Amino acid sequence: MDSRIIFHIDVNSAYLSWEAVYRLQHGAKIDLREIPSIVGGDSKKRHGIVLAKSIPAKKFNILTGETVYSAIQKCPSLVVVPPNFERYLVASNALIDLLREYSPKIQRYSIDEAFLDYSNGDRPWENVAYEIKERVKNELGFTVNIGIGPNKLLAKMASDFKKPDMIHTLFKNEIKDKMWPLPVEELFMVGPRTKVKLNNRGIFTISDLANLSRDYIYSWLKKPGLLIWDYANGIDNSRVRSDPLPVKSIGNSTTTSFDVDNRREAHMILLALSEKVSMRMRAIDQYAYVVSVGVKNTNFFSYSRQMKLDVPTDCTNTIYETAKKLFDEMWQGEPLRQLSVSLSDLLDNNFYQLSFFEKDNKKERRFDKTLDRIRGKFGPESVFRSCFLYSGINPLIGGVMMEEEYPMMSSII
Amino acid sequence: MLKVLMKPIEMIAWFTKDGYPIPLRYRLMDEEEKNIVIRVNKILFKEEEKIAGNRMLLYRCESLINNSLKIFELKYEIATCKWFLFKM
Repeated sequence: MDSRIIFHIDVNSAYLSWEAVYRLQHGAKIDLREIPSIVGGDSKKRHGIVLAKSIPAKKFNILTGETVYSAIQKCPSLVVVPPNFERYLVASNALIDLLREYSPKIQRYSIDEAFLDYSNGDRPWENVAYEIKERVKNELGFTVNIGIGPNKLLAKMASDFKKPDMIHTLFKNEIKDKMWPLPVEELFMVGPRTKVKLNNRGIFTISDLANLSRDYIYSWLKKPGLLIWDYANGIDNSRVRSDPLPVKSIGNSTTTSFDVDNRREAHMILLALSEKVSMRMRAIDQYAYVVSVGVKNTNFFSYSRQMKLDVPTDCTNTIYETAKKLFDEMWQGEPLRQLSVSLSDLLDNNFYQLSFFEKDNKKERRFDKTLDRIRGKFGPESVFRSCFLYSGINPLIGGVMMEEEYPMMSSII
Repeated sequence: MLKVLMKPIEMIAWFTKDGYPIPLRYRLMDEEEKNIVIRVNKILFKEEEKIAGNRMLLYRCESLINNSLKIFELKYEIATCKWFLFKM
């Protein structure tokens, strides 16, 4: 297992680079990468947060995830461009296509990261990594970091070392010099909460963690503890998965720009969310058993309820009725700022147990299907329920685009 | 040195059997909003680029404009079927 050669390819400030080179290709005079700039939501709307920043913007201490408003306060001359996810997906696909020329074993880890297994390659891997890096730069116009190691974890740690446009290796004999001196929060899967826990017991570097006894970490942090202990010691046996992980749940949520304080509005938002999740559900040919609804109130306190259906479904109305019921059971009447609907416990829609006692929803299924087709052809807002007319509420809520096509980050390496 | 313009233009082109367009003549507006038609006399070279994954064909061309031989570049964006006067 340890004789593998794994590459981790990571696009340097992906959204921003892609936006910059797309604009250059279309005749822009300024390279966004060379000035303080960010890709972020519309600052006029409430949703404005920083999604990506240029290296000059980093010097103003602008952080990914903060509001566009506070970023502009840090740097008044900041250039803010809105995101265009379809464009980024095109750029990401082009990268994957290029990687496929080198190995069939490629795992798309997120929109801007991929693993490539070069264990059975017939050329020296150093040359190949260098060639990939240069070809991406010359043909696609953006830069990547490539981390190389004997497993995915070490490759991923390596690609993060120094940016941009670099290749780093991290093999077992290099762990001590290159990875162990790093602060423990740099380790994959060590988040801010784990960091505090570890720091409280005097564990500040990856080396501190690696040198604990395995029994000690297990008795303290249980299974997740063993995982990060393995990572700290460079142990990871996961394979480069070319097949996507199966979808386990589908959900959409929305943060409203106003306080939702009456049942009618809340129900409309739940309907809009149900429309979206059920459409996504039908698009992947699955049925769901479990419907859950979550809310967050103006004090940022959140709670949720879920319910298992007797018969699995993908029907908008059934999902909406269930969501409404769950919501009415739990809502205390206080103003809300966020609502979500999600479906889980999925199964293939080809095989499921029919029920004598449920209403036959053949007609509704046909109706849903027809709506999906009309919306697919003429746009998501070509047909919508009349209750949304003049309501100021979007008839379909959630998602930047069809997420099935958009590879999102996961915590499973 | 050619200047970057990236001006959208109207184009008449023909397509080869392999599916590549060959620009013949195009029309653009000048500063006084008057249409000018420019005939492409010669294609010096053609390149394909896929910056950020967006495929474009680039043509370096030569034409006689106002009795002087001028060099310019045209771009064809495959995803949108749009032509641009890229540089002149």
